[in-house]
Amino acid sequence: MKSLDHESLEEQTRLVPRYVAGDLSRSERAEFEAWLIASPELAAEVEMERRLRRGIASAARRGWLKRGATPATIGRDRRWRVALAASLVLALTTLGLSLGLPHPGNNPASATTEPREPRQRSASRTVRLASVRGVATLPDIAFTQADAPAKLVLEPDVVVLTCEDGSMALECPGGAVPYTPQYPEYELALVKHGDSSLAWRSERQAPVSRNQLSFELRDPGALEVGDYDLIVRGHSPEHEEVVARYLLRVAAQ
Amino acid sequence: MSSVSVEEIERIVAAALSGDPQAETRMLVALRPGVLAVLRFGAFNRWIDPEDLTQETLHIVVERVRARTIDDPRKVFAFAAATARNLALNAARKMLRQQTVVDSGLIDELAQNLEMEQGELSDSDDRQLAQAVADLIDELPTERDRQVIIRFYLDAADKHELCRELGLSPKHFDRVLMRARSRLRTIIERRAPHLALFPRITAILFPLALSFTFWVRHFGPW
Repeated sequence: MKSLDHESLEEQTRLVPRYVAGDLSRSERAEFEAWLIASPELAAEVEMERRLRRGIASAARRGWLKRGATPATIGRDRRWRVALAASLVLALTTLGLSLGLPHPGNNPASATTEPREPRQRSASRTVRLASVRGVATLPDIAFTQADAPAKLVLEPDVVVLTCEDGSMALECPGGAVPYTPQYPEYELALVKHGDSSLAWRSERQAPVSRNQLSFELRDPGALEVGDYDLIVRGHSPEHEEVVARYLLRVAAQ
Repeated sequence: MSSVSVEEIERIVAAALSGDPQAETRMLVALRPGVLAVLRFGAFNRWIDPEDLTQETLHIVVERVRARTIDDPRKVFAFAAATARNLALNAARKMLRQQTVVDSGLIDELAQNLEMEQGELSDSDDRQLAQAVADLIDELPTERDRQVIIRFYLDAADKHELCRELGLSPKHFDRVLMRARSRLRTIIERRAPHLALFPRITAILFPLALSFTFWVRHFGPW
């Protein structure tokens, strides 16, 4: 830590994203952490960086982030989008009227629409699953067919981060922390106990923010009563592996 | 969040190094958020209890300050950071060794601990945070800034490639990120202040208790 001037603090502030991502070298990290001790301001920046990362991942999972076009194509596409949107609105309105549905403007409930989520969002349930589960026979997730949510979001913490060369270590060569997901893609399958039939399989997905997975099971109430294995598999071009297994129970009552 | 500046903390530590007992207490209060930050944000955060190790770190730091083997406040900062890091590494090693033991009770305990660690934010907090970030991105002045945030954080795009593609200088890129963090802080302080960084009551009480214990042990005959 050379000096405690404002310029040095600014220099460290620029390193915040790399620090949170674990991309600093050993010496850079030592310097940065000495600054963290000295500067509550820098600590607040780090906290916000983590919140920002988590918030973006969460907003993306919820479908709240619009992936805009690149700046060069924005102006070009805008007219088409406006035209398409106007046509769609017109078509839907005509369809609504012809089917005799109440006009949206006459329905007080529809006047208070929420900006980002459809109304059934309260029927969604998010479950975070730890990487290590107990050996007890109690299920990790349980619900009855009647109280099943419309959507079950499963977020297993199973992505192991490795060093660039694929090795698993607490600290990689050069002092960096591991940051490469062990597998580029993961999938989740639901296998019924007893007959080992496959009840559901997710699309494969790459971890968001390096280690976050989120699988959406729609209408879990439609599952038959019984116990299911929730199996998370990691996939690479050469290899696949079951990286975690959980127990889900669907009860009749 | 404490509003103590870097210069003020440096002055406090310098006074503690000169043997001022009141400054020592103030030093513990001032260093605590930083030590906690190193432990919470550091490489081994998921395997440790940051509160516990903060206590241990400050204990070692104050012993060292009392021993007068450090003469420069900046060295105290570096020493505190290195101590916190080493304690975290040791705790992580211990934890990982334990994970290989086939002991159902222990595994259950580990599972619970990991669950607690993950549950740092409740569902409702997570939703509020996601909403705050989505609003923040909507509010960004240009589509280019939105692209910077989304592609850097969500797609893990390389900073230099992104700069080249969007015609940005690295400094401008850093400014976009800094402004985003600052704006996010404003939004969450307004809507969900508990998600911002706040000193807990223990942040005040613990250093006072630690300092008191030291003074009694070293200088206070009962």
